[in-house]
Amino acid sequence: MANTNNAGAEALRRLKEVDPPSLLAPNPTLSETARAASQYLFSSIRPFSQKCPLDQLLVDGYDAEQIWHQIDLQTQPLLSTLRRRVNQFVKNPDEIAQLKVPSSVAKKVEAKNHEEWEQESDDFDEELDEDDDDEDDFEGVEKEEKNGGSDGEEEEDDDDDDDEEGSEDEDEDEEGEKEKGKGKDSGIEDKFLKINELNEYLEKEENNYENAEEADDGDEDSEEDDELEKAGEFEMDEDDEDDDEEEDEDDEEEEEEGMENARYDDFFVGKKEKSSKRKDQLVEESEDSGDEDDMESNKQKKRTASTHEKQLEKIQSEIELMEKANVEPKTWSMQGEVTAANRPVDSLLAVNLDFEHNVRPTPVITEEFTASIEDMIQKRIIEGLFNDVQRAPRLPSKAPREVKELDDNKSKKGLAEMYEQEYVQKIDPTSAPLSSKDKLKNEASMLFKRLCLKLDALSHFSFAPKPVIEDMSFQTNVPALAMEEIAPVAVSDAAMLAPEEVFDGKGDVKEEAELTQAERKRRRANKKRKFKADAVKRSEKKARSEKKEDNAIPGQVNG
Amino acid sequence: MQSNEASSSMDVDTVSSKAKVLPPKPKFKPLKPHEMASGQVQFRKVSVPPHRYTPLHKLWMEFYTPIYEQMKIDIRMNKRGRKVELKTRPDTPDISNLQKCADFVHAFMLGFDVIDAIAILRLDELYVESFEIKDVKTLRGDHLSRAIGRLSGKGGKTKFTIENATKTRIVIADTKIHILGSFANIKVARDSLCYLIMGSPAGKVYSKLRAITSRMAERF
Repeated sequence: MANTNNAGAEALRRLKEVDPPSLLAPNPTLSETARAASQYLFSSIRPFSQKCPLDQLLVDGYDAEQIWHQIDLQTQPLLSTLRRRVNQFVKNPDEIAQLKVPSSVAKKVEAKNHEEWEQESDDFDEELDEDDDDEDDFEGVEKEEKNGGSDGEEEEDDDDDDDEEGSEDEDEDEEGEKEKGKGKDSGIEDKFLKINELNEYLEKEENNYENAEEADDGDEDSEEDDELEKAGEFEMDEDDEDDDEEEDEDDEEEEEEGMENARYDDFFVGKKEKSSKRKDQLVEESEDSGDEDDMESNKQKKRTASTHEKQLEKIQSEIELMEKANVEPKTWSMQGEVTAANRPVDSLLAVNLDFEHNVRPTPVITEEFTASIEDMIQKRIIEGLFNDVQRAPRLPSKAPREVKELDDNKSKKGLAEMYEQEYVQKIDPTSAPLSSKDKLKNEASMLFKRLCLKLDALSHFSFAPKPVIEDMSFQTNVPALAMEEIAPVAVSDAAMLAPEEVFDGKGDVKEEAELTQAERKRRRANKKRKFKADAVKRSEKKARSEKKEDNAIPGQVNG
Repeated sequence: MQSNEASSSMDVDTVSSKAKVLPPKPKFKPLKPHEMASGQVQFRKVSVPPHRYTPLHKLWMEFYTPIYEQMKIDIRMNKRGRKVELKTRPDTPDISNLQKCADFVHAFMLGFDVIDAIAILRLDELYVESFEIKDVKTLRGDHLSRAIGRLSGKGGKTKFTIENATKTRIVIADTKIHILGSFANIKVARDSLCYLIMGSPAGKVYSKLRAITSRMAERF
């Protein structure tokens, strides 16, 4: 290893001194040196890239492209972790100052690094993923620095930086876990711990996790990286004694803590948390067999928790809740006077408030209600019991005045006649014309008589013939049959028109259409003759009347 | 008094000879109207407006007869001067006849019918009152026309109603209104017409008329 390292370093140095233009032309020696240098670099970075499946860079007989891909395999995850680490430092610049720590032994540094790794891996169960990131960043930064530094001389500085980072990580670890006890060197495999078993278990878990979470976030990737790193770490332990020691140290640390500071909390409280975190996140396999055993025992204990313990748990949780509620500020409904500003919007709607109603609540209209009302209405209608308001009878105060109707026609009497009438009325009250009262009386008596006649006719009890009223009225020529139907006895057909009254004509009466031309002419001639005779008569009349007027003695008073 | 004094004087002066015998008091007959104006004839002249010329011409005999026969007043028409002239006759019974006839003719000229105007001849206390619409309320244009329409009513209905209710005769000549009747009746008719001019609806005026006339009729 050291010879190859030296050769590799040598090759690197030579490469550095090469002129860039000479690289343009293909040169077998240059390629040899380049391959050796890249191999050296690869192997030097190898300790920090745990995820890489390649042990060393395979150079013989490989194409440039293939070599490049091998390098890529190694560096890709490293770069991401380093970037994260740098971001971490960007956020907390104070850590950068703590980075620089004088280094003594590379081994120690490496050991410390590994220890820190393990510590942090153990802490992952209880800490957030940020710590994972921290460690990843830390590791990434390491690799980056190593990549950047082409000289092996810088490795020491890197180691120093790693030391500083490791110390920082130590400081960052706030949770006091049992793993804080670092620096305990006692790497002896115990009967409890078998490295081979560990490795097998780790590989199994790895496969499971990789299958389950292929497209996870970087955190989980980082965790995977951690696992891989841990796996790689353990693999490396096989290669390096130091790593074995580190492993043993880790194992021993846990075992020591288990042995020396054995408390209930160490076993059950911590393990419980660890197991819970395993369910939530990807648990680090670095919990090792001891943890596994403890966890298994824990699980068994949980399953067989006694009823008393269950009750206790219940009560405990309730108590916690109540205490929590008591500590918190009260809800708005339990506070005293609460204005709208002190309670959430529309919160009154959810609460059943109790207050006095001054208004009678509106009656709920149900079917029964309407049915009852309708029944009442029907009953009232049947009885005829309406609570009608009856007008109070007004006592007649005075005799009703005789209302004189206004006549809007032109009066036929002259003014003189009107005053004459008035005068006569004044002088001689007896000659006063019938007042309207009498008129009404007459009308009433007439109506009554007519009514009595009709009733008598219908009843046939007491026959009273219709009063003969000599008046000019039109006689309707109604057929006797109709009349008799209405009033069988009392009405006779004597009141109807006589045949002569129906038609008074002589000779052969012809219709308009039946007349011949000669007859029509004759008819017209007769008409004309009559008209002429009438005209003559009229003119004679007029002449006579005019003469009379002229001869009339003047002074006759008209009217 | 004179006789007493005469007697006393007679008593005192018995020594003198016979007393003088005064002539008897004259007894005059009442003056005839003809003689009242110291035997002069009295005239009245009434001008005829153009729109009454033709009716006068038509109804002349009805005009003439009562005046000449009953009032005993000479009447003639001056065609050139468009005047009706009235003159007392020696046998005119009453001096007021002339005035009555003049009023009669004047009433006819205003627009009243002969039949209505003759009441003036027959009754003493009939008067004619004239007033204008603008005396009541100043109206112009459409408002004036509407007021005149309101006064007459549809087909003269409202006017006849007032005439019948108040026993008057009304003549509406454009913006002049003439009422013929007795004093109280003229007042009622005038009030009704004024209400109409001022804008009351006819129904309202009717109800007022009804109340007033019934009250008036009850009095008798």
